[in-house]
Amino acid sequence: MTYLKDNEREEVKKLLVLATLAGRLMLKSGAETYRVEDTVTRICQSRKEIQYVDAFVIPTGIFISLEYKGELISYIKRVKTISINLNKIALVNEFSRNFVNSQMSIDDGIKEIKRISKINIYSNVTKALFGAIASSFFCLLFQGTKLDFISSFIVSFIVSFLINHISRLKVSFFIDKFIGSVFISILSYFLIKLGIGENLDKVIIGAIMPLVPGVAITNAIRDTMSGDFMSGLSRGMEAVFSALAIAFGVGIVLIFS
Amino acid sequence: MEIIKQFVFSFMSTIGFAVLFNSPKKSIIHAGLVGAIGWMFYYISFITMDSYVASTFFGALTVGLLGEFLARKNKKPATLYITAGIIPLVPGAGAYYTMLYLIENNFSQAATKGVETLFIAAAISMGIIISSLFSRSIKRVRQKD
Repeated sequence: MTYLKDNEREEVKKLLVLATLAGRLMLKSGAETYRVEDTVTRICQSRKEIQYVDAFVIPTGIFISLEYKGELISYIKRVKTISINLNKIALVNEFSRNFVNSQMSIDDGIKEIKRISKINIYSNVTKALFGAIASSFFCLLFQGTKLDFISSFIVSFIVSFLINHISRLKVSFFIDKFIGSVFISILSYFLIKLGIGENLDKVIIGAIMPLVPGVAITNAIRDTMSGDFMSGLSRGMEAVFSALAIAFGVGIVLIFS
Repeated sequence: MEIIKQFVFSFMSTIGFAVLFNSPKKSIIHAGLVGAIGWMFYYISFITMDSYVASTFFGALTVGLLGEFLARKNKKPATLYITAGIIPLVPGAGAYYTMLYLIENNFSQAATKGVETLFIAAAISMGIIISSLFSRSIKRVRQKD
């Protein structure tokens, strides 16, 4: 049995840390689990003679283990909140391709990942504005009138600021969505009483659109159909409970109205 | 006239979601077009076939194929276009109604809506998986050449 030199082991460990950081950033940004597994494995296999790498990724954590000259090294990373950030997915994807095809040092790689994780292309105001655009045009797609369009725009704009503040407290996605939908229904109710907007249900449906777990349901089924049952179940649970939180929030207000 | 309206509405809402999902600035318009064209296919096939599930499948297939095409062209992952592009098709309202009927003790309505939601989500997933199969087989043929 040959023992690894310390600096060699350090190097492999660093590579593993880099792969995990890249994987975690992708997973946190809402990437599909197979894409994360693929990226992690490819980063690990790009340096040294690593005979065996395996990554097991589910939406709530990453597990990697690799074998280097007869020694097994593994790493586990827990991931809690997932919020979709397509820009980061694209950047990490590009980074992993560059890293694999060039002789970038591992330290530079870690720095690059940390830089990517801080990039934020849109301010909260822009996001709230576009969220409101999305909601109000959805309201029109569901046959809402012009007045409904205006009121769902206003409701969604205000509530997205509110949700932003609540989600910073990091309580739970359930509470965020519950409080968000309570405020959406209260605001919609008052706007309709004021005469801005005609159909309460259309306004509410439009405004809850950014909260609703449509993408989560679709991804859950997609994962399950491609054989990733654990991540399918986990995303499916998220979707069911998000829908439940929203329905509770709206339901409570509709009972009182 | 109605078709133009539907195109504009779905385009705008997809763009809104693309920004919410932090899409890179260059891909926002592309994502909007993918979403709107996918919705057009859905809308037209819904008029002709009158089936939510089948027309959602065709819409999602269109979104997937366009997404894969743009991904190849711009050398970006296809999710960039697909995640935002399927938004108009996605059964978010269905999931909400299912849970609302459950809360209101309206179990038969909840079952109807729930099954419909599940099938629509399955149709979207199938459309996307099949479109990614297409692009994979094209890649394989090219590699052989």
